[in-house]
Amino acid sequence: MTIDAVDVLADDAAVVEVGQANEARPAGRRRLAGELSVQITLLIIGGIIAIPIVVAIFTSFTPLPEILADPNSIWSGNWTFDNYDTAWTATPFGRFMINSFIQTGIITLAQVLFSILAGYAFAMFEFRGRTFLFAFVLGSLMVPFELTFIPNFVLISNLGWANTYQGLTVPFLASAFGVFMLRQFFMTVPRDLYDAARIDGISDWGYLWKVMVPLSRGAIAALTIFSFLGAWNQYLWPLVITNEESMRTAQIGIRFFLANQERATDWGAIMAGATIVMLPTLLVFLFAQRQLVRGIAMSGLKG
Amino acid sequence: MMKTTLPAGANTARFRGRRRRPGSLARDIKAYLFLAPTLVVLGIFVYFPIIESFRLSLNRVAPFGSAEIFVGFDNYTRLLGSSEFWNNVVVSLFFMVGTVPVGIAIAVAIALLLSYPVSRLSWLHRTLIFVPVVISSAVAGVLFRWLYNPVVGHINTWLGAVGIDGPEWLTSSNWALFAVTVAVVWRQLGFNVIIALAGLQQIDNSYYEAAKVDGAGVLARVRYITLPLLSPTLLFLVVINVIISFQAFGEIDILTMGGPGQSTENLVYSVFVDGFVGTRFRGLASAQAFLLAVIIVAFSFIQFRGFRKRVHYR
Repeated sequence: MTIDAVDVLADDAAVVEVGQANEARPAGRRRLAGELSVQITLLIIGGIIAIPIVVAIFTSFTPLPEILADPNSIWSGNWTFDNYDTAWTATPFGRFMINSFIQTGIITLAQVLFSILAGYAFAMFEFRGRTFLFAFVLGSLMVPFELTFIPNFVLISNLGWANTYQGLTVPFLASAFGVFMLRQFFMTVPRDLYDAARIDGISDWGYLWKVMVPLSRGAIAALTIFSFLGAWNQYLWPLVITNEESMRTAQIGIRFFLANQERATDWGAIMAGATIVMLPTLLVFLFAQRQLVRGIAMSGLKG
Repeated sequence: MMKTTLPAGANTARFRGRRRRPGSLARDIKAYLFLAPTLVVLGIFVYFPIIESFRLSLNRVAPFGSAEIFVGFDNYTRLLGSSEFWNNVVVSLFFMVGTVPVGIAIAVAIALLLSYPVSRLSWLHRTLIFVPVVISSAVAGVLFRWLYNPVVGHINTWLGAVGIDGPEWLTSSNWALFAVTVAVVWRQLGFNVIIALAGLQQIDNSYYEAAKVDGAGVLARVRYITLPLLSPTLLFLVVINVIISFQAFGEIDILTMGGPGQSTENLVYSVFVDGFVGTRFRGLASAQAFLLAVIIVAFSFIQFRGFRKRVHYR
């Protein structure tokens, strides 16, 4: 997939109409009716897709007795923050969120930094073993996580890192996808620029941070968002590597909220918890949709 | 360039070989330092575990502790002779059949609609349709568990409004697998639409114009131009979705925990249960993980081979 195509995709204003561009427009009503029906169909489809999220958010603001009496009362507009209060006080939800932010922050920062370094080396340097090492990095994308997580669990436990931030983060500090993506991007930067900078006496290190990184802001932003979402949404690993409540991430916290017999029917509080957990990712989606869509379109990554 | 420059070209090759030598050790070391963090992490946490996983699968590991006894391929023969294992294989296959074709068909249909009109509403359509892409498997599980609630869930309430008595989605062995499948397809949809849309927008408009001149209608254009030219994207979607369907875990854990009975327990869930829940059988779990990985790799490979003949490469 070329970056151009992806840019077009991410740019609403420049959307190419499949099979429609430059076409002489059949006059008037029939075309308008066709367009209108497509618009309405899309709106209905979009509405259906958004139902689970919309229902969760509305439920989270509805008093529990009303929810349990009639789930459709969530549309009545009788709103309250009680459920958030319950979710926040009945479980250490604040702690879960802090854990998630620390875990996600470390993973995102490391993946971006290490991908910049490795992507730069693969794009710019000639060295022995380059082909092999590049295959080594890309090959790791084919290894399913299910194969690695038991040995990693044993290793991390033996290091005494279960229930620690190291345990949550260290196995994910590198991103093969990030290395590949940034290498591809760095290779599009004209080589002449590098040669000129070298003649001016700029070191490799200086060129990377003063020229390459600023030029690649878009790609780096896309990778940052991607890493953030991947880390925030992790489930299987934090589930097995933490068993102390104080070290659970938000995704795991909500699982144990459901598993708690006293709380399992408090759907108001559960939906409040779910809303809090998805809020950071929804905000990223709303404010960085362009970079996110670009990152996905360029990926090939496991969800 | 003229033929006479050919020897010079040959010289260049030799020159290039020589140019590397001065300071090339320093250059190598510099590159390795840039690569070190990535290589070390991938080596320790991706490649080493492959070997370790295979080694574990040849051992019986004490349930509480780390004592190991070498048992050869005992774990594998036990698995292949156990009906539970085959149940989990069948559940995984059902997941694949239930999620992949439907998920991709819906995604391509939506992408076709999305790529047709440009309007002030485009951003809204996209936002609503793409949004599941940022939802985690755990949250998706929680959202659907609420919708599926047999008494006060919205699905059964709405079904009841039109006179249908909705089933107990998650506790009925007839419906649980279907219910989980819907949640998995939903969460994957945004991703699939984005990839399909990117593929559609790489198709050159001149094809459509030519077809129009020849009098092809909308359906004919989709059938004879869009789908063949989209086939590389479709191949990619199929492979990725098959892999993802085999790896479905979060939704299952939240919605059904593999139940009722073992009707939604796929291979991944079984690896988790055997490796981490109650009495632990890490050797057995590793053997399943290894078989799962072999299946995933084999499936991707078969699909590449099978599809390659039918894929139109530009």
